[in-house]
Amino acid sequence: MEEIGSVPQWVFNIAGHQMVLNKETLIMTWIVMAFWVLFALLATKTTKLVPNPLQSAAELLVGTWDDLVKDSLDLSDRRYFPFICTIFLLFWISDMLGVIPFLSEPTKDINTTLSLGVMGFIVAHYSGIKFKGFKRYLKDYCEPIFFMMPLNIIGELAKVISISFRLFGNMMGGSIIILVVSYLIYSLVLPPVLYAFFGLFIGTIQAFVFTMLTLVYISVQIK
Amino acid sequence: MDISGADLIRAACFLGAGIAMGLGAIGPGVGEGFVGGKACEAIGRNPDEAGLLTRTMLVAQAVSESTGIYSLVVALLLIFVV
Repeated sequence: MEEIGSVPQWVFNIAGHQMVLNKETLIMTWIVMAFWVLFALLATKTTKLVPNPLQSAAELLVGTWDDLVKDSLDLSDRRYFPFICTIFLLFWISDMLGVIPFLSEPTKDINTTLSLGVMGFIVAHYSGIKFKGFKRYLKDYCEPIFFMMPLNIIGELAKVISISFRLFGNMMGGSIIILVVSYLIYSLVLPPVLYAFFGLFIGTIQAFVFTMLTLVYISVQIK
Repeated sequence: MDISGADLIRAACFLGAGIAMGLGAIGPGVGEGFVGGKACEAIGRNPDEAGLLTRTMLVAQAVSESTGIYSLVVALLLIFVV
């Protein structure tokens, strides 16, 4: 039970400054990336008209997200599709990684989710400025009347906190519940069921929600 | 037995975590139940759209769950960090 609050870290000194890296998060994120690179290489090794199982799984994933992005953005080209699809693929496998023994979810760390949330925020506002022009972008902050501007700015910042803390809290809460229940019943029957529920089911839904909300924020800005 | 200031802070942390989690779970419970009930009504009226309605329902429930997650984060901070 002692390991709940602790985070394994690498600490080293570079030119008098202390640098701290979260060991587990880094290794697990690299595992996720290696998985997707391997999957992509295997799925596209022999592309045919009649696909093998890996190729049809890849086509299903990419095609579903292509349709969703097309439905919500109404753009003629696919400029936001790679970004959105990458967020989903990264978080999907990240959330499900805790099911495998000796591995843990990188989304259990607030740094992962917050950095992706800030990235989505920057992309949304950059495309808002690009599509609407700087003047109309600024005018949208003073929407009903002029002195509502601070509230609108806080509302925009709260979106970042909201999506990143939602994913982080779900994953962290799930892993703590699994740990506490395993400790109470000496890991007898329930832990596999709990891992399946929190890792596979909740993880998939939360990755989908994170990606859909990023997509919605972008589409609100560019319309 | 002496009760020092640190013990009082620890006790207040546990009490605060319990209250935060208990009160914070009311809102998401009511909200998710409402969303689920409405989705059931809609599926009963229009069974062909069950897939789309279920997907929308899950997303809406995950969004309305977020206030409960905030209180969970606050409770975890109170227990493990303070």
